Amino acid sequence: MNPRPLSFRLAPVLVLLFLLGPSVRAQTPRVTPLELTGAKPARESLPTLRFLKGNADFLRTRFELFTPSGRVQGSSARPVDPRFLSYRGLLADIAAAKDSVAASAEARERQAIFASVADLAVLERELDQMERVLAAQQTRLGSLHADFAGRQRTELAVLLTGGALSGRVDSVVVTLEDGTGAVTGLDDTRRRSLKVGGMVEAFRGLVEPREQVIEVRFIGEGWSQVASGFVRIAPTRDRLTFVKLDLSQAAPARGMASVSAGTWRSDAPSPARTTADADQARP
Amino acid sequence: MEAHLNRPLDRPRNRWLPASLVLALSLIGATARAEVPGSPARAGLALAAAAATAWAPDAELVYLENDEPLDASGRSPRWGYLFRSATLGRARVWSVRDGRIVTAEDLVLRFDAPPLPAGWLDSDAVLAAAEKAAAQAARREGRGRLLTMLLMRGAESGSDRDATTWTFIYGASGSAAFHVVVDAATGQVKRTWRS
Repeated sequence: MNPRPLSFRLAPVLVLLFLLGPSVRAQTPRVTPLELTGAKPARESLPTLRFLKGNADFLRTRFELFTPSGRVQGSSARPVDPRFLSYRGLLADIAAAKDSVAASAEARERQAIFASVADLAVLERELDQMERVLAAQQTRLGSLHADFAGRQRTELAVLLTGGALSGRVDSVVVTLEDGTGAVTGLDDTRRRSLKVGGMVEAFRGLVEPREQVIEVRFIGEGWSQVASGFVRIAPTRDRLTFVKLDLSQAAPARGMASVSAGTWRSDAPSPARTTADADQARP
Repeated sequence: MEAHLNRPLDRPRNRWLPASLVLALSLIGATARAEVPGSPARAGLALAAAAATAWAPDAELVYLENDEPLDASGRSPRWGYLFRSATLGRARVWSVRDGRIVTAEDLVLRFDAPPLPAGWLDSDAVLAAAEKAAAQAARREGRGRLLTMLLMRGAESGSDRDATTWTFIYGASGSAAFHVVVDAATGQVKRTWRS
């Protein structure tokens, strides 16, 4: 028989639960409900660049005095990003250095024995050359990382879940404020998957880190006649924001208001940046 | 028991205390919301640049100006940042207030300004030089108050046409605007004129 009271015996378990609690809570995203409205919400728009708009002709004359006319007029061909040209140059330099290293290696193989101290000096020079090649590769990878992997990514992912109570959703149209967006088709397999708890990604892409309204529309039997729904979101800079549209209580007769929406944010930096940072130390 | 029930009526001042606190807190909150402290021009640049990169990967900052009145230290509650994309052939502006983009819109008029280099002095750092030049002018003919600060490349003529400059525009009702152009890299006054 254990002489200790029950509370003493449970104490380690309680301490463990107390310690685990925050980590469990941290992994669970906090979903904030969103309102899906039938009318596009009005957005505050404050006047901006008033001096420029009022004095555009004057300001234009200032910089056009020295700007080459070709830049102002533009051309049909797209200008090549100078970074791409520099990558090619870097790669060519590295290839040339590699050739030199290979030639040196062949010469070295032909020599059976290092006969003198002078040969050791040659070997040292070759090693230095190899180090320079490695340094050049690191510079090139650094340039690539700075230009691509290090680029900020404020992303939005719109997810669909649940099967509609009535009607049949064949596709989902998500449109951003600038008119861009995505159309995602739903076949029988996807619809069945949604009904049993699956999710479909209706949109994933870069967005501006500001408050904005996205438009959602369903196309399909019963749903094509239903007007678009609008959701106000505020993606956080350098983070992935999720918007979930739950169709489990949705019916065309009740319109887009029957679709429940929620949002949460991934607090980890965007996947591209995490991967790049991990690779930076080990190129 | 009866005495306990009557206690709030015995001390009527306590009954109003929570309501007064709520009222005071909401008034303080409203004041805090209304008065956004000013910030130098660079404060909102990173956010605007993040939005610009999402809009077009090759977007470059070409122009900025204060969107709300400036204070005496060259700070404004809101700044407007104009970016241009060569591949899209379009320009778009983001207006940032208190760490938040409050306006984002395409620039309808044609403004193919050259991109600004990275190393420009901030609005509060260059103001002192402009104020000194403006003060000298004020002694002669009056200058008015500082209305606008704008940063662009190519506003200067002569041999420094490629220089990035801050232009300070002072004005008062009924008088011509007074302009001070300051080199954004060195903080030196390049010239002044009245229009």
